[in-house]
Amino acid sequence: MREDDGFDDLIHPATRLSIVALLAAADWADFAFVRDELGLSDSALSKQLSTLEEAGYVAIERPVSERRRRVRARLTPLGRARFAGHVAALRGIIAASP
Amino acid sequence: MSNSLSDAEARLALHEVERGRQRVIDQIGMPRWYWWGLAACWIVLGVLTDVANAWVVAVATLIFGAVHSAVSQRLLGGRRRTSGVKVRAEVVGRRAPVIVFGFLIALAGVTTAAGFAAYADGAEHPGTMASVLVAVMILLGGPRVMAAIRTRARGGTPR
Repeated sequence: MREDDGFDDLIHPATRLSIVALLAAADWADFAFVRDELGLSDSALSKQLSTLEEAGYVAIERPVSERRRRVRARLTPLGRARFAGHVAALRGIIAASP
Repeated sequence: MSNSLSDAEARLALHEVERGRQRVIDQIGMPRWYWWGLAACWIVLGVLTDVANAWVVAVATLIFGAVHSAVSQRLLGGRRRTSGVKVRAEVVGRRAPVIVFGFLIALAGVTTAAGFAAYADGAEHPGTMASVLVAVMILLGGPRVMAAIRTRARGGTPR
C-alpha cells in the first residue's frame, strides 16, 4: 500500500485524498462538516472513513455535546505521517518531471 | 503506483490537497456572537462609567474581565468559529491570538482616549460616547482582523 518514496495507494484516490487533506489542516472535524464541504453522501463518507480507520490513519470519536451525539474524525499520528509522505512523493514526481 | 503517475496527475492531486487546506482556512475566525457580545458589554461598561459609582464600575469590569477571559481562552486563536471543525494551530499561525489580543488592547486604549477627549470637550456622557464609538469599531474591525489572519494563513492571498 505504501511505497518506498512515501506514495500511499490508500490515500491517493480522489475522495480519500480530499478527506485526508481536509483533516490534515484540522485537529478534528465533524462528520457533517466533512460531508458538506466535500459534497459527499453519508454512506460514501462513512465508507471512506471506515477504510481509513481500519488502516489506522483516522480515529473516529463520538463525543456528546449539547445533548447531541456527534461523530468527529481526526487524523492519527500515523495518518499524518503517511499523508506528509504522500504529499512529498507527489512533489517528487513533479520535481522529477522534465 | 507512483511510477505510473504522470506529472499532471501529481499536480492535480496536490491541487486537491491545497483545496482541503483552504477549506479549513476558510473556517478561521470568531463566532459572530462573540463580536456582538463584546460590543454590547463594552457599551454597558461605558454607560456604567457615566451613571454608576466607582465600586459598581470596578466590580462590573472585573466580572467582564473574568467572563471574557473564560470565553476567549477557547475562541481567541480563531480556531473555533464553528462547532464543526477545530483548525490546527499551525494552520492559523502562532501570531493569531497575539493579533486579536493586540486589537483588544488597542480598543481599550481608544476607549480611554476617546472618553478623556469627550470629557475635555464638555460632553455629558463621555464614557457612553467612547464606548459606542469603540463598539462600532469592534463590529466593523473584529471580522476584518480575522480576515487578515485568514489571508496570512493562505500565505498572503486574500479571498
